[in-house]
Amino acid sequence: MKVKADQRVSWALATPVLALLLWSVVYPNVTIIAGSFAHGLGYWRDFANSPSDREALWTTLVVSVGSVIGAAAVGLPLAFVLSRVDFRGRRFLQAVATLPAALPPLVGVIAFLFLYGESGVVTRAVQRALHLSEPPWRLTGIWAIIFVHAYTMYVYVFLFVSAGLERLDGTLDEAAAGLGASTAFRLRKVTLPLVTPALAGSMLLVFMSALGSFSAPYIFGGGLRVLSTQIVASKLNGAMGMAYVETTVLAITAIAALLLLRWFERRRSYAVTGKGSNTRISLRGPMARLAPFLAASLVFVLVLPHAMIVLVAFARDGAWTTQVLPPEYTLDNFKRLATDPQLWLPVRNSISMAALATALNIVVCFVAAYLLVRRRFAGRGLLQLLVVLPWAIPATAIAIGLASTFDRSAPAQLRVLLVGTFWILPLAYFVRGIPLVTSAVESSLRQMDPSLEDAARGLGASWLLAMRRVVIPAARPGLAAGATLAAITAVGEFVASIVLYTHANRPISMEILAQLRNLSFGTAAAYSVLLILIVLLITVAARLLGGRPERVETIPTA
Amino acid sequence: MSVALRMRRGLACASVVALAACGGDGRTVLTVYSPHGKDLLEYYEAGFEKAHPTVDVQWVDMGSQDVLDRLRSEAANPQADVWFGAPTEVFDRAAAAGLLAPYKPTWAGVVPPEAKGGSDLWYGTYLTPEVIAYNSDAIAAADAPKDWDDVLDPKWKGKVIIRDPLPSGSMRAIFGAMIVRGMGTSGTPDSGYAWLRHLDASTKEYALDPGVLYQKLGRQEGLISLYDMPDIASLRGRFKIPVQYVIPSSGTPVLVDAIAIVKGTKHADLAQQLNEFVTTPAALEEASNKFYRIPARSDIPLDSLPQWVRDAKTKIKPMPLDRALLAKHLDEWMRYWDSNIRNRSKKS
Repeated sequence: MKVKADQRVSWALATPVLALLLWSVVYPNVTIIAGSFAHGLGYWRDFANSPSDREALWTTLVVSVGSVIGAAAVGLPLAFVLSRVDFRGRRFLQAVATLPAALPPLVGVIAFLFLYGESGVVTRAVQRALHLSEPPWRLTGIWAIIFVHAYTMYVYVFLFVSAGLERLDGTLDEAAAGLGASTAFRLRKVTLPLVTPALAGSMLLVFMSALGSFSAPYIFGGGLRVLSTQIVASKLNGAMGMAYVETTVLAITAIAALLLLRWFERRRSYAVTGKGSNTRISLRGPMARLAPFLAASLVFVLVLPHAMIVLVAFARDGAWTTQVLPPEYTLDNFKRLATDPQLWLPVRNSISMAALATALNIVVCFVAAYLLVRRRFAGRGLLQLLVVLPWAIPATAIAIGLASTFDRSAPAQLRVLLVGTFWILPLAYFVRGIPLVTSAVESSLRQMDPSLEDAARGLGASWLLAMRRVVIPAARPGLAAGATLAAITAVGEFVASIVLYTHANRPISMEILAQLRNLSFGTAAAYSVLLILIVLLITVAARLLGGRPERVETIPTA
Repeated sequence: MSVALRMRRGLACASVVALAACGGDGRTVLTVYSPHGKDLLEYYEAGFEKAHPTVDVQWVDMGSQDVLDRLRSEAANPQADVWFGAPTEVFDRAAAAGLLAPYKPTWAGVVPPEAKGGSDLWYGTYLTPEVIAYNSDAIAAADAPKDWDDVLDPKWKGKVIIRDPLPSGSMRAIFGAMIVRGMGTSGTPDSGYAWLRHLDASTKEYALDPGVLYQKLGRQEGLISLYDMPDIASLRGRFKIPVQYVIPSSGTPVLVDAIAIVKGTKHADLAQQLNEFVTTPAALEEASNKFYRIPARSDIPLDSLPQWVRDAKTKIKPMPLDRALLAKHLDEWMRYWDSNIRNRSKKS
């Protein structure tokens, strides 16, 4: 009897969650795919015959592969040095190394423009120092995008490989050394094979993030075509059929990458069992004196974008023309934000929409994770698929799907009019947050001893009581970590917002873009500083509420 | 406090915040989509709100094509009340898509025929000539290009910055004009495409939006551009950017910028009042004096307008453009340009 009752509970929980996910994740994508075939194969033929679309697909792949190489080139050595070599400043550098991931996508791109753009601070400084008549480089095209991606995405490689190296048993290396293997041989035959799964996983993660990246190509692509910007351009031109085909192609590419990633993750389990006793090499001689300086300069480079945003936020608009640094400083940008209610509205919008989306994420994703970890029922495989899907599908595709599905009310087709309302953005943020929160809660629940819940029930606790006293407390660290990530992503969200926002619910990111359009760089930077502060505040609040957030290994960016 | 309770509180709090964001200060919000820029829009916002204390005018500054895209997306749930500004060909397409509501302004009788939309769906407000812009710190007036073809001179190669033409009504108009001009007797767009290919070869970069364009011109990342006269003329005053313009000697497209009521507006009455408010003779004179706009109304005496308008009127040779042809083909031409011409030429 109890088994049957348990099945009923499973289904009572699973049905609404599955229904919500099918409606908000699957349905919009089905609309897109159906739309791409609205003229039979016509749109697909147009796509195949369009040189610009072929170019977009090709450039997207080149940018993605380039980003993987760039991110690995930065992240891999950094991870090795920081976990293998001991020097003064190591811990500080380790903390700062993850900083780029905390920069909201649009803000990071703008910071790079101020720094390395043709009239950016670094560019001008180099030009002055070398007495060049022309700027030494231009921040446009493929290289610019890869440069930004390498900066923001190397963090994945760094985190994954660092974690892999921490787990690695240092005695293996010593044993090989004892048997007479040279350093290069040991690196090739012992260390690299052991971190390969972590490296491969993180590289695929970078590949997928770069695939859907929108901010960097949009801001300084300079007419360069990638699929995500091409989708928005097609929509702008009124060619919705093409936009659907491009969206479908982008989503399929991303899902293929996801399947590859899953396959690698399953292979990752061949890691060595052991205590993971890690020995670090202490530097001696001139290297030991040099290392802190190298570390300090690296920290400087990593913090530079954040510093630049803060600097511009205090610069007087319009005064910065041909000088290296902004010549005049003022508090006006922040004063305007604080006093003009119209300027404050986007801040309120972003916070309330992120709060709504995250609250819904907490409830739905907790139930989903509980079902996935603790219950066996017929729809489990489907649920597993649905919670990772929004992570694979690029944000542009999610947004186009929502925009073309919920553009009218048709109860018979389960369509609700959301376009042009406040609610469409929280819904989009919720969809983007599903994989983050679910996977975090899942990992917390897996650490709970499964017999605990059964024991509580055996001692006479009702299912609800066991839930409240046993399961939810066990899930708390994951809930806090996942909700933090979801809230951070939502509050600075740009890619889905640009498709779906209305004037009344414009988020901070859209206001930053509007201020840039109006040449109010100072105000745009002031908003960016505010956004960074909000992100910081969310992180601190989550630490206070949910204890120590654990490492979550999937952080999609745009 | 249990986590469940905490979560419930969080939810309640979140929905309160959401409601607060939806409300305002109780005034009726009148939303205006417009590419006319912050200064002009703020000026009329203040004026209209003074005359209607219960109204809160909110404008959204975006490219003309962006406005069309938004109206299309929001057709089932219109968010805007008034569409203020865009070339008439963009309005024509919006009219064809059924996105506009008819309104015959009181001044409908005093505009030239090209400033009247079919079925009263839109009316012209300003005449907007397209010009050649140059950084006047870097280029002396005597050396600046005098006509369209001068821009293709090899000495400007790599010094031209063009606003991304796809979202911009002005750029679409210039590109369309170059194609129509080249059609001559052949009737094909090929020689126009050839001209645009030359331009692409000279173009250093396509700028994302007007802000980026102005900044790049000001910082001398590029020295020459093509854009509309009012925006270029006001740069020095608005942003202290040293940019001057030349009216092309062989003739230039003169766009008619128009205004329309968005179909489905919940404030039709106020929308119409705003339409009238920005088009009175006094308002148009102010637009000339402050924002370099040339009124489309023909009943405004020339001597009430500033000197530069009188000068411009003698210097501007309007390029004769077949509007029906443009309306029919411009989208297709722009798509061709985007696929086959943009960034295709070898850059220096």
